[in-house]
Amino acid sequence: MRYLAHRLGLFVVTLLLITIVTFLLTNVLPGDVAAMILGTRSNPVTAAALREELGLNLPLVVQYLHWLSHVARGDLGVSLIFKEPIARLLAQKIAASAILVVLSLAIAIVLAVPLGVWSAVHRDRWQDVIGTGTALAGISLPDFFWGIVLILVFARWLDWLPSSGYASPLENLPLALRYALLPSVTLALSLMAHLMRMTRSAMLEVLSQDFIRVCRAKGLAAGTILIRHALRNAVTPVLTVAGLQLGYLFGSIIVVESLFNYTGMGWLTFQALLNRDIPLVQATVLMIAIVVMLTNLGIDVLYTVLDPRVRLT
Amino acid sequence: MRAFTTPKALIGLLLVMLFASVALVSPLLIAGDHATKINILARLQPPSLAHPLGTDPLGREMLWRVMLGANTSLVIAAGAVVLSIVIGLPIGVLAGFYRGWTDHGLMRLVETLLSFPALLLALTISAVLGPSERNTILAIGIAFSPYLARIVRGETLRVGALPFIEAARSQGASDWRIVRLHVLPNIMAPLIVQATISVAFAILAEAGLSFLGLGTQPPTPSWGLMIQASRDYLDLAPWTALVPGAAVAMAVLGLNMLGDVLRDVLDPTMVAG
Repeated sequence: MRYLAHRLGLFVVTLLLITIVTFLLTNVLPGDVAAMILGTRSNPVTAAALREELGLNLPLVVQYLHWLSHVARGDLGVSLIFKEPIARLLAQKIAASAILVVLSLAIAIVLAVPLGVWSAVHRDRWQDVIGTGTALAGISLPDFFWGIVLILVFARWLDWLPSSGYASPLENLPLALRYALLPSVTLALSLMAHLMRMTRSAMLEVLSQDFIRVCRAKGLAAGTILIRHALRNAVTPVLTVAGLQLGYLFGSIIVVESLFNYTGMGWLTFQALLNRDIPLVQATVLMIAIVVMLTNLGIDVLYTVLDPRVRLT
Repeated sequence: MRAFTTPKALIGLLLVMLFASVALVSPLLIAGDHATKINILARLQPPSLAHPLGTDPLGREMLWRVMLGANTSLVIAAGAVVLSIVIGLPIGVLAGFYRGWTDHGLMRLVETLLSFPALLLALTISAVLGPSERNTILAIGIAFSPYLARIVRGETLRVGALPFIEAARSQGASDWRIVRLHVLPNIMAPLIVQATISVAFAILAEAGLSFLGLGTQPPTPSWGLMIQASRDYLDLAPWTALVPGAAVAMAVLGLNMLGDVLRDVLDPTMVAG
């Protein structure tokens, strides 16, 4: 319990720091927000008027507290490009991206764990070379390149899946999955590669320990040793990497959703950045950072469930 | 040293040397406007003797552009990693060496920054500063520095607890002297491994930023930009995507393989065993 209380305390501090960093990112770096928003239409008079309207002439601390008090009440402002309340936009887009995240995680885990175990069991033989080679290729190519290859093969040549677009799962689930499949596979590839490498090395470490030899000596079936004894003990480091990779996933989702015109959080973030929609940039960046932090917290809690030793420290 | 003669090490070393030499030599070799001259009549030519890697949608020679792209890639990736070390190393050493409240404070900040995915941080910085090559280096360098800081802190903590640090302190050595002569040399190995892998990630990040239009700006040749330009011509001219894709893959693969080998050689736990 003390462990969790401590984590929760840190959580509140980090949350506050995240809002400060998000705010500073868009306010302290050089560049006039009003001029950025106006773009080519900017002239001294309109820029001054907009600065006044956005409260940019107030001291930075006042601006931050003002922004924070709104955010805390769930008021994220109105998007400059979509002319819509940001909170409503976010709700739709987060749901769309959640499908991608869940699907790609599932694909990555289903592929990575068996492949990692397989490589570890056949260490340094041809099976291992294939396994580690696949993983190296997966982390060495940018995800948007995989995305382009997948579009070329499955959308253009084979014409099995749509190359871009989004459908709401509430209205048409099969169609929504068809749209989500290629982006999810694209996201899953690099995720899978990292997970596979971690599974392999964690398994190698566990398999070299004495208790595995004891299991063998007392005649347990190879499959039982591998899954119930070795894999169970290799889960924690794999989970750590999965957590770190989720942060990476929330970054690559920006590229992949833009590539597939899949209108989720990543696409929204990119539109905000491209059009210098500062309120929307702040909201999306803040939201993604909070989700990453919550994921890490969730993984810490999961540790205590999976590994009783953590609870004692 | 045997680790350096395995096939993996040799392939990795070869790919990295190929990447680095092309990157360094191509600006000298390819003079003038060879790589930027638009020739609509020769657009989207498939690879042939006249055009070894084909031409792009504007009729520019893919070979020259992919070679110069290596230069852009290396300059930005190396610059970004150097910047991330310049920012991350002092933070990590301070936190790991002084521990206590210094450590708590700095690590809270580092962990906060780690909640922002590196690519998101880099994209945001680049969008706010305005996309250019210099700002791409700044964006990626800043985005990578918390990772560097965390690793350096961990290594500094490990080295700081070793007996010879206490011995140096008992002889009256100043903090600065201990850090300079004892801590820094002993955290070099993991730092080199991390830097190698970071360059690979920085190449991917530069390609990603440029692909989204928030990195290197045209007409400067960049692998990410080339892949972006190929999107509308995939059926017609797949080489416009495959050539820069293969270039990224070779550079990053080489650096990753080299990083793996360096880790095996330099990892202190392996040396001890």
